[in-house]
Amino acid sequence: MANVKLTNVKKVYGKDTVAVQDFNLDIADKEFIVFVGPSGCGKSTTLRMIAGLEDISDGTVEIDGVVVNDLQPRDRNIAMVFQNYALYPHLTVFENMAFSLRLRKTPQEEVYKRVTEAAEILGITQYLTRKPRALSGGQRQRVAIGRAMVRDSKVFLMDEPLSNLDAKLRNQMRAEIILLRQKIDTTFIYVTHDQTEAMTLGDRIVIMKDGFIQQVGTPTEVFDMPVNLFVAEFIGAPKMNTFKTQLVREGDKYFVTPYGARIEVTGKKAGELLAKNVESQEIILGVRPEHMTLAKAGDADAIPCTIRVNEMMGSELHLHVEEANGDRLIVRIPTITLEDEQRKSMTYGQTLHITFEGKVMHFFDVQTERNLLA
Amino acid sequence: MKKLTDLEYLKLSKFQAFWYNIKMFICAIPSWLKKLFMGIVNFFVKCGTAVKDEFVDIFTTFTKGNWAVKTSFFIFGFGNMYYGQFLRGLLFLLFEVVFFGYMFVPSGGLHWLGKGNWFQIGKTVGTVQGSFQYDMIYDTDVWVPGDDSVKVMLYGLLTIIFIFAFIYTWRLQVKQCRICMDITAKGKRVKSGKDDLKSLIDDQFHKTLLALPVTGIALFTVLPIIYMVLVAFTSYDAAHDGYSNLFSWVGLEHFNELLDFGNGGLGLAFGEILSWTLMWSFFATFTNYFLGMFVAIMINKKGIRLKKFWRTALVMTIAIPQFVSLLYVSKLFDSSGIIGELLGQIPFIKEYLTTNHYISLWDSPTVAKVLVIVINIWVGIPYVMLQATGILMNIPQDLYESSRVDGANTIQQYTKITLPYMLFVTGPSLLTSFVNNLNNFNVIYLLSGGNPLNTEIGTAGGVSVGHTDLLITWLYKMALGSADSEYYMASVIGIVIFLVCAILSLIIYNVIPSTKNEEDFQ
Amino acid sequence: MKTETKIKKSGLGARASRRISNTIVYIILIAITLVWLFPFFGIVLESFKVNTTAMDGELFPEVWGFDNYIRLFKETDFLKWFRNTAIMGVATAVFQTFFVLSMSYTLSRLRFKARKPLMNLMLILGMFPGFLTMILIYKVFSELGLTMEMAPVGLIIVYCASSGMGYYISKGFFDTIPKTLDEAARVDGATRMQVFYKVIMPLSGSIVIYTILMGFMAPWGDFMLASYIIHENSAGMSVAVGMYEWLSRTMVNSNYTMFCAAGVIVAIPVTTVFLCLQKYYVEGVTGGAVKG
Repeated sequence: MANVKLTNVKKVYGKDTVAVQDFNLDIADKEFIVFVGPSGCGKSTTLRMIAGLEDISDGTVEIDGVVVNDLQPRDRNIAMVFQNYALYPHLTVFENMAFSLRLRKTPQEEVYKRVTEAAEILGITQYLTRKPRALSGGQRQRVAIGRAMVRDSKVFLMDEPLSNLDAKLRNQMRAEIILLRQKIDTTFIYVTHDQTEAMTLGDRIVIMKDGFIQQVGTPTEVFDMPVNLFVAEFIGAPKMNTFKTQLVREGDKYFVTPYGARIEVTGKKAGELLAKNVESQEIILGVRPEHMTLAKAGDADAIPCTIRVNEMMGSELHLHVEEANGDRLIVRIPTITLEDEQRKSMTYGQTLHITFEGKVMHFFDVQTERNLLA
Repeated sequence: MKKLTDLEYLKLSKFQAFWYNIKMFICAIPSWLKKLFMGIVNFFVKCGTAVKDEFVDIFTTFTKGNWAVKTSFFIFGFGNMYYGQFLRGLLFLLFEVVFFGYMFVPSGGLHWLGKGNWFQIGKTVGTVQGSFQYDMIYDTDVWVPGDDSVKVMLYGLLTIIFIFAFIYTWRLQVKQCRICMDITAKGKRVKSGKDDLKSLIDDQFHKTLLALPVTGIALFTVLPIIYMVLVAFTSYDAAHDGYSNLFSWVGLEHFNELLDFGNGGLGLAFGEILSWTLMWSFFATFTNYFLGMFVAIMINKKGIRLKKFWRTALVMTIAIPQFVSLLYVSKLFDSSGIIGELLGQIPFIKEYLTTNHYISLWDSPTVAKVLVIVINIWVGIPYVMLQATGILMNIPQDLYESSRVDGANTIQQYTKITLPYMLFVTGPSLLTSFVNNLNNFNVIYLLSGGNPLNTEIGTAGGVSVGHTDLLITWLYKMALGSADSEYYMASVIGIVIFLVCAILSLIIYNVIPSTKNEEDFQ
Repeated sequence: MKTETKIKKSGLGARASRRISNTIVYIILIAITLVWLFPFFGIVLESFKVNTTAMDGELFPEVWGFDNYIRLFKETDFLKWFRNTAIMGVATAVFQTFFVLSMSYTLSRLRFKARKPLMNLMLILGMFPGFLTMILIYKVFSELGLTMEMAPVGLIIVYCASSGMGYYISKGFFDTIPKTLDEAARVDGATRMQVFYKVIMPLSGSIVIYTILMGFMAPWGDFMLASYIIHENSAGMSVAVGMYEWLSRTMVNSNYTMFCAAGVIVAIPVTTVFLCLQKYYVEGVTGGAVKG
């Protein structure tokens, strides 16, 4: 139970391969923080630097106010769960979980008590005498978590713990990690490439790309106000539609003109644009697929498109459509809003008109790709 | 030549593509050489700058260091002790004391170094020649020992190494002292002796583990090899054994002798032996490789039973000490051996033997060469079979299934999947086995002993040369098997073997893709 | 149409053609096995010949008997050589295993500045013929009294001292153990030494046995180094050097069958040990070649 503070952390491999740069982050006590980003963005490297498995090229890492740069992993009092579980194949589940306690010469009663307690919570009591190879993937993952749980560690690190599991098990374990968190009540740092995991688990999310932090914020913050195009496209599935268009200011009113349509910016966004005194310019416009709706042909805000792919997801329909000059857009429509006839007519090559509301747009600068309102 | 784009390349027919690759390969040679040259130049430039940086660093350390740092330029470990690192400091100090003690005591380092006449051509190694002198007490000539060249050179070499170690240690402790100063200036604590000891089982654990093995290698491989390289430049042999007769520095004389094709030179013998060595290595490696793989594929064929039995039968040959099996097999082919006798009765072989006045198969140079290669197949196949079995089992089964769906038959599967896969995985091990065969002493020496003798060449390097002699058996015979014991020539040949191995490795290393990255397969 | 003719073309059924090919393979395998095992039977049969001491070109003895074995123990130093070699085998197995495992473990799993240079250095050293070092080592050892009758001690040192250079196969094995195991253990509170003996060693049984096996077998098969250090002193001989003499041109006729008897006795312990541990040997050879 401790806060973790990273100041100007930098990691360089070899001479000039920079993996992480300018990493500044204050993690509060008992906070659940998630590092998320595409592979190679430096999220795992950062975690491993906190764990002490990688040298820190520059900057400092503090745990509980102590600079731990030069401490061995064993002296940092951290627990870690690895992607491929890293269970000791020659030890039973019990001994796997007891390993760290044995190294600390904990008395047997205490070891027994802690291991069985953790096993109870994780529901693996009946496997305690088995070797890891006799366990399924999900069970192994539990043992790996249990091994980290038995210790009173200050920080709980998890490096893509669910990515080796199949989709169904992953959802189940995700829910269990949320429950687990209530029980363990310590500081969590969780690394994943999966934005769903990040959104559902994290108190705060750290989105990284190419070694730089892009944005730090609560799931709502990063979803509603992505600071740049990368974050906007990374968070949310299917990913946000983005396209170049004109932002037109007419007095106190703003319009966007995507593909010949003309849509007025309304709601909060209009006020914010005005407050920042944004002038007419070319922008990149972002609209999430779920904010796209069907429109009638001939309306001023209708964009004509051709259907390319129709994905029926059950409760909703994902339509991949192609706009006249080749841009691809995704539209997400709840099935319940569609008539049967309408649904059947949505096949390859059919024309469709779409639009979106004025209050759900995101505006990005064409050059810097930064959010105009952030 | 114009380089094609990927798409243009794909348009070529198989033959065109092959031809294109050859042309590109040849065209690339100049740029390779340039690269190699630049690499060498860069290496020296880098070394130069590194040395310069080192001197600059030493200088700034001295000018900017406090008095403790300055003192440690002269008294080892002083700085360490000043900053509380007593353990390190004491060890450094001890080293300095031992070093100066060794160097300056009578018959210490300087004494040995001075006697060596290092690299002065024509001068002896050691200065005092032992001799018989009249002794009044015994009333006869007794041997008064002088210097022993072997010892002079060995101790001299050790002293030189010691001096390098001294310079390195001096630099090391100065640097450490500076680091201590910097750390203290930042207000942090320097590592204590206890920390040092603790780190030996943790982040410095490699030092603990490597201490003994590396010492062993340094004493029993590095030192003797440097020594023997030096010997190649002296006249060390049985007549000049260093004790009864000092040996002297002769420079490159022996290298010239080895490459001298005229009378008295070893050129002819060397050429003959080198070409046979390479030929032997080539055939031994590739016959083993392909036949071994073939056997492995047969044993692992679907539907073949008793797999374990076949494998064990072959592996037996590895278990039995080579000298037993090889000597026995060698005798089998002798004139009175079972196989030799049988073969000798076949008409055309019989005729061949009698017209050439050969008694046994081993007397014919050609037959002997073929025999050692054939018998080596018997020796080598089991190893290759085992390796290949492991790799065969690792080839993903779905490759075969998908190729069958695509319409490949068994032979196509072999040439298109098994062989390329095996070649890719075992590329590096082919290189190792080639180099091992180059030095395959056992098989040659125990089978043919290098015989039959090469009557055209007769003796070279003090030993009679045979048709099946490899460089390594030649070397062995020179050092052990003759009265002359031309150690210097043995050393020269050792260096030649090294050069051959190194050049081959360099070439192959650059050609085979899978040797390049140690961690590619993980 | 085309596909139809194609299908018809393979006149033989798949099963029949497989049976034929299997039969061919069986024939080849039986032939190979006979060729490979022939020398062993040959040696054994030869060793029981009483009627001759030389090669007589016959496979089976005319008269059977143990004369060769009796002569071996009564008239020669064979027992002494055997003892020497056995001692060397055991000692080499112990020390060499220690050296090789330390070296290969370090190079495989620990990272330090000198790692690459060290590996390159050993690669380069490996290209020099090892025999070359003997000339100096013999000189030094004879000063120290480690040659001739003390040769076994000297040879143990020779076999073990530089054995760290033969790290390749076991390094290949260690490379296959996932690095995260070490990391997990270190996070769990283990020092690197504890990682070594609590996590990695228990997982490396097969490679340890392989290394021991290799160490044990080295002195039995080595002729080159041994002959140099021993310098024809019967008391310090290993079996290889001792028995080699028996087949020299002058002695072969009176000693040939005895050589075979000795060969049988040497082969029995080594082959037994080897076949018992064959599994580990195979794992070592295959694992080392493929790196997993």
